[in-house]
Amino acid sequence: MAKLTDLSGEGWPVASSQKNSTDFDEKLGTSPGVWTGGEMANPVPSACCVVLAAVVVVYAQRHSQQDSHIQYERVGADVTMKCGSMDWDAAVTWTANGTDIDDSHLNGSYLILKNVDLTQSGQYSCYEGSSWHLKYQTYLRVGTPPKEPVLMCRSNNYPKGFYCSWHLPSPTYIPNSFNISVIHGTREMVCEKDIFPKNRCHIRYLQLFLTVKYKVTLTVTNALGKNSTSLTFDEFAIVKPDPPESVVAKPVPNNPRRLEVAWQNPSSWPDPESFPLKFFLRYRPLILDQWQHVELLDGTSHTITDAYAGKEYIIQVAAKDNDIGTWSDWSVAVHATPWTEEPKHLTTEAQVTETTSASTSYFVPPPTTKICDWWAVRPWQCVGQLDWSWLLMVSSLFSEYAPSWGHERWGWVLGGHGGLRGSDVVGKGDTKQAVGEEHWV
Amino acid sequence: MLNVAGEPPGDSWGIFAFLCAALCNLPAVPALNGTEELGAGQSIQKTYDLTRYLEHQLRTLAGTYLNYLGPPFNEPDFNPPRLARAEQVPSATVDLDLWRGLTDNARLAANYRAYSRLLCYLRGLDGQAGTAELRHRLGHFCSSLQGLVVSIAGVMSSLGYPLPAGPAGPPLPPGAPAAPNDFLKKMDDFWLLKELQTWLWRSAKDFNRLKKKVPPAVVTLRLEARGF
Repeated sequence: MAKLTDLSGEGWPVASSQKNSTDFDEKLGTSPGVWTGGEMANPVPSACCVVLAAVVVVYAQRHSQQDSHIQYERVGADVTMKCGSMDWDAAVTWTANGTDIDDSHLNGSYLILKNVDLTQSGQYSCYEGSSWHLKYQTYLRVGTPPKEPVLMCRSNNYPKGFYCSWHLPSPTYIPNSFNISVIHGTREMVCEKDIFPKNRCHIRYLQLFLTVKYKVTLTVTNALGKNSTSLTFDEFAIVKPDPPESVVAKPVPNNPRRLEVAWQNPSSWPDPESFPLKFFLRYRPLILDQWQHVELLDGTSHTITDAYAGKEYIIQVAAKDNDIGTWSDWSVAVHATPWTEEPKHLTTEAQVTETTSASTSYFVPPPTTKICDWWAVRPWQCVGQLDWSWLLMVSSLFSEYAPSWGHERWGWVLGGHGGLRGSDVVGKGDTKQAVGEEHWV
Repeated sequence: MLNVAGEPPGDSWGIFAFLCAALCNLPAVPALNGTEELGAGQSIQKTYDLTRYLEHQLRTLAGTYLNYLGPPFNEPDFNPPRLARAEQVPSATVDLDLWRGLTDNARLAANYRAYSRLLCYLRGLDGQAGTAELRHRLGHFCSSLQGLVVSIAGVMSSLGYPLPAGPAGPPLPPGAPAAPNDFLKKMDDFWLLKELQTWLWRSAKDFNRLKKKVPPAVVTLRLEARGF
C-alpha cells in the first residue's frame, strides 16, 4: 500500500494519476492519443496492452527502487540511520510506517534505534522539516544470521538415486538462500532442485556399489551471515523405503481368532523384483499397550492367528530392503476386529446392531439384558418377559419326555418338590443348564 | 476291476486303484530335470545366505582391524580419495544399466573372479596382523570366504557355465609392488576391506536377481523316502 512517489528525485514517471500521462506516453514512444497497433476499429485490446505494459514497467521500477533501500540488521543491534545527504544538524522528521517518530530517538538528523527487535521492521522515511520533502527512505528488516541448518539425505527409490532435504531449525525473519553441493570422490555432482516440496533436491545414481562415500554440503546464506552443515555417507547407508501402501485388514469368516492383513509395496520403490523388500508387521488390541511383531521375508500378506476374539485391533506395517539400509516409517494404521459368531435369538436391538457391524465395534452384551427364550436357564428372571409360547414349549417338552409323570412332576416344575425320580430330572436339568450356559455369553 | 456297466461305486474304485498303482511306481521314474533345477535354486539361496553371513562377520572384523590400524582409518568419516595403486583390488562399482543387463553367466563370473582375488589379498593380510586373536579371526573369515568362492563355483556348474580361467584373472604381477611405506600399506588394507564390504553388498543383490531368474524349484514326489 506504499504510495508511488518520486523516490530519488530523478523524475521517474508514475502512472497513478493523469497529470503524468505525457511522460507515460513518452516511455512508450507514441504521442498521446495514438494507439499502438494502429487499428482504429478495435482500440480496446490495444488499450489493455498499453495499460498492462505501463503497470509492469512501473512495478519493476518501484521494485528496483525499493530493493536498493533495504537494510538488514540483527536482533538486538543498535541502528543508526542517516537522512540521505542531509547534514547532521538539519531539521528533519522521521516516520516509521507512516507514523511520526518521537524526537527522543533522534540524534540531530540521525535516527537511533537501540536494541532493535522484530517489531521494528518496516519502512522508515526521513522528511525535510519545513518543506516535508522526502529525503530518504529505507526498509528496515530485523532478523538473525542463520543457525546451522538441518540436512537429511535419503534414498527411497534405490537404485534410482537419492534426495536431500533441509530446513532451518529456527526462523531468521529475513530472506535466505541455500546452496547445496554433492561431492563424490573427486567429482562434483549436480543436485537438481525439486519444485515441490521446496528445500529439496535429488540426484540420480549413475553407478552402483560405490566404495567412495558421498559428501553433501549445504550452505545457507543471508544478509547477516552464513552457516553450513555436511553429511558423509555410503550409498547403502541412506536407503530407507517409504511405508507400505494400501494396508487392509479383514476378519476371516468362521475364524474368531484370525485377521487377514494385506498391503502393497510403496509406489516409490522402482524395482521390487531385483531389490525385494521385507516387511515388519505389528499389531495389538486397542485395549493393550504391548505390540506383537512379525517379520515377513516374503509376500505382501499375512494372517494373524492369535488375535483375541472380539477385540478391535490396530495394525501397522513397515518395509525395508532385504539387505541394506533401514526400516521405513510405520504405515497408516488400520483397525479390524476378528469375526464373531452371531448369537441366535437375540431379543434386544442393541445386540443385533453390534454384531452386524462386527468389524468396527467391540461386542459387549449389555448387562441388563436377559436372554429369555425357551431355553432360558433362569426363567424366573424373565418374569416380565415370559410369554405363553415359552410356557407351552416347556410343557410340551415335559409331556413328551415323561408322559407318565403325574402331578408330582408338575408340582416340581411349578415350584414344589413332588416325589421325583431324581436322576431323570437332574440329568435333563443339567443338559439344559449346559446348553443354556453356552448361549449365555 | 473296472466295471464298465454303469455301477458308479465300482467305477471310481477302479480308477482309484489305478492311480495308487501309478503313484507307487513313480519313484522309479527318474526326475533329473527337477533335481537339477532344485539344485541350482538351492545353491543360489545358500550362496545368498553365505554372502549375508560374511557381510555380518566382516562388520565386526573390519571394526577390529581398522582399530588395529589406528586413526584415521578407524574414524567413521574417513573418506580418502582412491589412489592409483588401489585399482588392483577388483571393484564392485558398475554402471546401473550395465549391471541390470548382465547375463547370469557374466554376473556369476564377476562374483567368482572378484572373491578369488579378494581372498588372495586377504590371505596376504594374515601374516602381519597384530594380535593372535585378530589373526585367528582373519583366518576364520578367509575360510568362510573360500566357502563362498566354492559355492559360487557350484552354482555356475549346476547351471552349466564354465568357471572363469584361473582365480586371479589377469595374473598378479610377480612381487606385486609392495607399499613403499607403512601408511600406504595401511591404506591398501583399508581399501581392501572397503571393497570386500561393497562386494558383499553387491553380491546380495546379484543373487537376488539370480534367484528370480532361475526357475523355481520343481516339487517332485519322493515317495521312496517314505518307504512306500
